[in-house]
Amino acid sequence: MTAPPPHDHTGLPADMTLTDDAVAREAAQLDSIWRDGRGFWGWLTTVDHKSIGKRYIITAFLMFIAGGIEAAMMRTQLARPENTLLGPDRYNQIFTTHGTTMMFLFAVPIMTAMGLYFVPLMIGARNVAFPRLNAFGYWTYFVGVVFLYVSLFANTGPDAGWFSYVPLAGPQYSPGHRVDVWAQLVTYTEIAALCAAVNIIVTTFKMRAPGMSLNRIPLFVWAQLVVSFMIVFAMPAVATGSTLMLAADRAVNTQWFNPAEGGDALLWQHIFWFFGHPEVYIIFLPALGFVTPIVETFSRRPVFGYTALVMANITTAFFAFGLWVHHMFATPVPELGQSLFTAASMLIAIPTGVQIFCWIATLWLGRPELRTAMLFVLGFIFTFVNGGITGVMLASVAFDKQAHDTFFVVAHLHYVLLGGGVMPLFGAFYFWFPKIVGRMLDETIGKIHFWLFLIGVNLTFFPMHILGLEGMPRRVYTYLAATGWGPLNLVATAGAYIIALSVIAFLYNVLKSWRGGAPAGPNPWNSSGLEWAIPSPPPSYTFLHVPVVHSRHPLWEPAVDMPVVTGLRTDRREVLLTTAFDARPDSRHHAPGPSIWPLYLALCMGVMWIGSIFSPYFVLIATGLSAIGLVGWALQSTSTPGTERVATGDAVVELA
Amino acid sequence: MKALRPVSDVGGLPSVVFGQRSLMWWGTLGFMVIEGWTTALIFASYFYVRQNFEAWPPLQTPLPSLTIPTINLALMLASFIPAALAARAGKALDRAGVRRWLTVMSVLVVPTVVLRWWDLWALNVRWDTNAYGTAVWLLVGFHASLLLFDVGDTVGLTLFYWLKPMPAKSFSDASDNSMYWYFTVALWAAIYLIVYVGPRIF
Repeated sequence: MTAPPPHDHTGLPADMTLTDDAVAREAAQLDSIWRDGRGFWGWLTTVDHKSIGKRYIITAFLMFIAGGIEAAMMRTQLARPENTLLGPDRYNQIFTTHGTTMMFLFAVPIMTAMGLYFVPLMIGARNVAFPRLNAFGYWTYFVGVVFLYVSLFANTGPDAGWFSYVPLAGPQYSPGHRVDVWAQLVTYTEIAALCAAVNIIVTTFKMRAPGMSLNRIPLFVWAQLVVSFMIVFAMPAVATGSTLMLAADRAVNTQWFNPAEGGDALLWQHIFWFFGHPEVYIIFLPALGFVTPIVETFSRRPVFGYTALVMANITTAFFAFGLWVHHMFATPVPELGQSLFTAASMLIAIPTGVQIFCWIATLWLGRPELRTAMLFVLGFIFTFVNGGITGVMLASVAFDKQAHDTFFVVAHLHYVLLGGGVMPLFGAFYFWFPKIVGRMLDETIGKIHFWLFLIGVNLTFFPMHILGLEGMPRRVYTYLAATGWGPLNLVATAGAYIIALSVIAFLYNVLKSWRGGAPAGPNPWNSSGLEWAIPSPPPSYTFLHVPVVHSRHPLWEPAVDMPVVTGLRTDRREVLLTTAFDARPDSRHHAPGPSIWPLYLALCMGVMWIGSIFSPYFVLIATGLSAIGLVGWALQSTSTPGTERVATGDAVVELA
Repeated sequence: MKALRPVSDVGGLPSVVFGQRSLMWWGTLGFMVIEGWTTALIFASYFYVRQNFEAWPPLQTPLPSLTIPTINLALMLASFIPAALAARAGKALDRAGVRRWLTVMSVLVVPTVVLRWWDLWALNVRWDTNAYGTAVWLLVGFHASLLLFDVGDTVGLTLFYWLKPMPAKSFSDASDNSMYWYFTVALWAAIYLIVYVGPRIF
């Protein structure tokens, strides 16, 4: 073996490598410390980001299927004029549940779940910064999922649309508990998203492998980091609006949205869209994070314009908070305000355009290989650009007023979300499934899946542009034959069934490959990120030793071996913390182990939110129950683990 | 897979650190940002509905009383002293000092939760009277939930220090607890100025 170049070793021989024996011994020791507990209890108490991430991804994908079934029901109802499959009341519940499921229970959770699974792997960490908070976030989300669907089957599904405008959603026009279900459910999922965001931010800032300075962070992780900041500033708006305002107006007669007592219905729209517009980018930016490594890997070259891509991410996030009023052009917004929000809405196309051009340049300069993941990226560029262009059209007030609340808007938002969110997500599944499961997905079925999906999406949603321009309003359960909208609606319904077929093909592929797929090995695509330096699926401790990084593409480095850090304890869960900017090793951190308290506290939150629909006293009951959980959690966190090295001032002292 | 080549040994690094070097500090900061931002959004809503009224508080709604909220603010500001001393004792790894100052801090902060009940009634309006009442109740009430959580945290930490052996990292927890308390009090100062004092001036 040639001697590797000497670098930052501290007292270790420059040519030392770990022997197979040492590696095996250490791996066994680490596995005994890091693996989940056994059986069902182990499953309930896990705090491993991989177990939780996988669970999150599967739950959120099941929600995609549920939302898809609702979509198919709506499309079947609309396939011909004056259809009677779904009555107006059922239709209202179905379209509201569809939107709520797709936005709150599928799109945001699955994007953050991908981050929770992969960010630690990509930055060389063994877990997220707050593993128990991560478990709490998942369980909170899970309670929300169960709550919505139990309510729907109990004929209490929300029915005022996924943005539940007042006064329709207020106590006067929506008596009963349907809107309450929506208001509380939204808060569950926002709490879960906030837990994930804080986790991803702190993990990214403090747990990167030594050498991974800010300018070497993978673009996937950059996207997750930027989106996490967006979540921190967007989600509190909807949590405030839904629980502290809407639910309170309905439960305890507060007057936020009651104009008779000085309240204001438009306040709801401001609060909702201040969250709602960034939400679109919260879904879309992580998807762009999926695209870069796929394009790099299958073009066989580093991405063109790394800095431009990072800047485009950050700029998009800033602009995303300055656009919300373009959802409100049909309300009396002052003219100056309209111009400002029109300009901002058009401006945001620029950073998005920069990213598209960077990927096209990468493909142009490389040798593209058309694997399924890559096909989905190309499908994304085609579909998303179409959705983006109708977005620029809608930014114009004059046009927006014509198209407002018509199927044109439905077409636009589905092009953006399916093109910009779901296509890259499917690409990501094909790309990273081998890492999660250890087996390859079938490429032939994958290509069938891709083509069916691309055709289905365009067949479903392209006709909706025309229907919208012809004046067909959204959210109607039927229409008259004399409108002439029948044929295009039938085409859209046929497209929806093709999408359903494509998803069935995907599910078949996953089930077939999970057990019988070709073994993947650590790096089946010969890709460059740290996640490909470890076995597939990753072991419980993820990295045997924390890697040291010298470039943006550690696995494309010509070095024959991999520089790593040693010295973390193997007799307890220990992770390395590094400095926020330069990622220099700074301290060792004792990471928490399995715990039941996150699940317990999530259930207490459930008691609070579900109970408060019926009586405010449940808030008190749940607070009491939570106090028990918090004490239990704290007792577990303050067990005495033995001697620590404590940094005090400039000195370090040993302390029992 | 490539062979692993050790280039650095981190065994000598500390395992308990303070301030921005510690994960818990970052997590605390994250939740401060979320809670501060939520309060800012409620403030924005407060000013938004204010546009619908000619007078503020609305006609026939009395001004909020100042006595109890002022006493509460003074108590919170006084508690800064033991909070700062507890944080300092934590950084000096002085177990007895942390226990002493956390106890003093607890004695000062527990009454703030009790006074909060009277802070709410000092608003002199019910939450369901009008949008003004709704907005001020939410501002003070939301802060009450933060206050309850933080006082619970302080009292819990104090009891733990008395009742069980605490690990070395609890020194860092004591210092983060003080940081979160400063933030909670700062938010209250803003609410006090805008909700209780503001309508008397503007």
